[in-house]
Amino acid sequence: MTAITNPEPRSVGMLLRGQPEVLGEWIEHWTAKRLLFCVAVIFAGAGLYGAAMGWWRAPQQGLIVAIKFPLIILLTTLGNALLNGMLAPLLGLNIGLRQSLLAILMSFTIASAILGSFSPLTAFVVWNAPPISDNGQFSARTYSFIQVMHVCIIAFAGTTANVRLVQLLKQLSGKAGVARRVLFAWLAGNLFLGSQLCWILRPFIGNPNLKVAFFRPDPLQGNFYETLFNAIRRVVGVD
Amino acid sequence: MNELNPTAGPIPPTIATPPRLSKPVPLGEDPADREPITGPLTAVEAVLRAPRRIMYQLRQPGSGQLILEMLLVSLVCSLIYGLVVGTFSMGPQLLAAPVKIAGGLLVSALICLPSLYIFTCLSGSEARLSEIFGLVAGLLMLMTILLIGFAPVAWLFSQSTESVVWMGVLHLVFWFIATMFGLKFLDAGFSHSKARSSAGLYTWVIIFILVAVQMTTALRPIVGKSDTFFPTQKKFFLSHWGDSLNAPARPAGQ
Repeated sequence: MTAITNPEPRSVGMLLRGQPEVLGEWIEHWTAKRLLFCVAVIFAGAGLYGAAMGWWRAPQQGLIVAIKFPLIILLTTLGNALLNGMLAPLLGLNIGLRQSLLAILMSFTIASAILGSFSPLTAFVVWNAPPISDNGQFSARTYSFIQVMHVCIIAFAGTTANVRLVQLLKQLSGKAGVARRVLFAWLAGNLFLGSQLCWILRPFIGNPNLKVAFFRPDPLQGNFYETLFNAIRRVVGVD
Repeated sequence: MNELNPTAGPIPPTIATPPRLSKPVPLGEDPADREPITGPLTAVEAVLRAPRRIMYQLRQPGSGQLILEMLLVSLVCSLIYGLVVGTFSMGPQLLAAPVKIAGGLLVSALICLPSLYIFTCLSGSEARLSEIFGLVAGLLMLMTILLIGFAPVAWLFSQSTESVVWMGVLHLVFWFIATMFGLKFLDAGFSHSKARSSAGLYTWVIIFILVAVQMTTALRPIVGKSDTFFPTQKKFFLSHWGDSLNAPARPAGQ
């Protein structure tokens, strides 16, 4: 058994193994070098995966998504930093704003590393998928398959990263219940904000029937929850 | 076969039972509780990380300064959150929403304060009025700080919808979550007041929530726009919500 003496950001493996003492040490003694390492992994991992995601629609779309995907992760982390920092102590985990921000950033780093590792596989699948023809014809089955594939991979990356995060939270709090509560609160907040950021920054895979673009013409028009809310209103007959 | 002999062998060690956790540790017993609160920022940190410090200080002479600081933080935070609410409709609402939210919260608390004192006394609590007032100030401070935490999310959504109903529901959800944490603080403070029962406090909680929700209707519109600062028609909040849901979709500001 080797002692961990200097957990410098030399490898993503340290994060992926999720050794609580390493993760705890990173959060306690944070340096700009480690912060840059996390941001770099997020840009590289999520960027590469984003490139593979958009590539099926068009190479230009791949480039656009390679920029947008890491941005969503960083904006979600920053946008909820204050709230997450407040919720942690209120739910029994006495850590500071900086520590909560870094814990979440680390979990996103792990997710991005996983996504980055899957990007060659995704690119291979996309390369083998029937492309969109010059006149815009495409197979609906292919489009659906690609959507499902992305959902599965992103879900796997997200779940693994959160398992690592809950291990860290458990170590910091010493209580599994507190760790779960904090994780749930953070997840709920990040999901809520992240989904809206995704909506604003859409498209990602790129609808074959629409033009390649960085934003849709109406990026700030509506949101997923409002659409759901209106649907429920119609179902219960309020509308 | 000796090990099967029930009379032989040492007496097994007794397992220590953990102490009952029904009664909280008295305030001030932990030296950390006695750390002074030197300003508004310390008060913010204390309410998030070590609320017992606030509860302890509220029992000390000269707690008025702390109460004032907590009220000041509540006022500033609610004005900031109100500004975020006002960005939905822009125009005059940038001024009206902060004033209505800050004023509404403080007036709701003031209206409910006497009944809280009566309920706590009826429950056998030994808390003084100033302590109860301080706990309510702490409740307001925690609520409004949390609302600031929600502010970036609220702003983002306010820029991406034109539905007054949607934004109203969203702000109510944020307010409700913040209130729950605030009431948890109040409950923790109340548990140190030697009250025989919490029934009075829980009754008051319902009253406070109803008053605050009605205040949003009495001061409407907070999210949307209107020609007048105050509403011209009196309504209960359920009736107002029903009317809002049944109203045809309209863009912000109408």
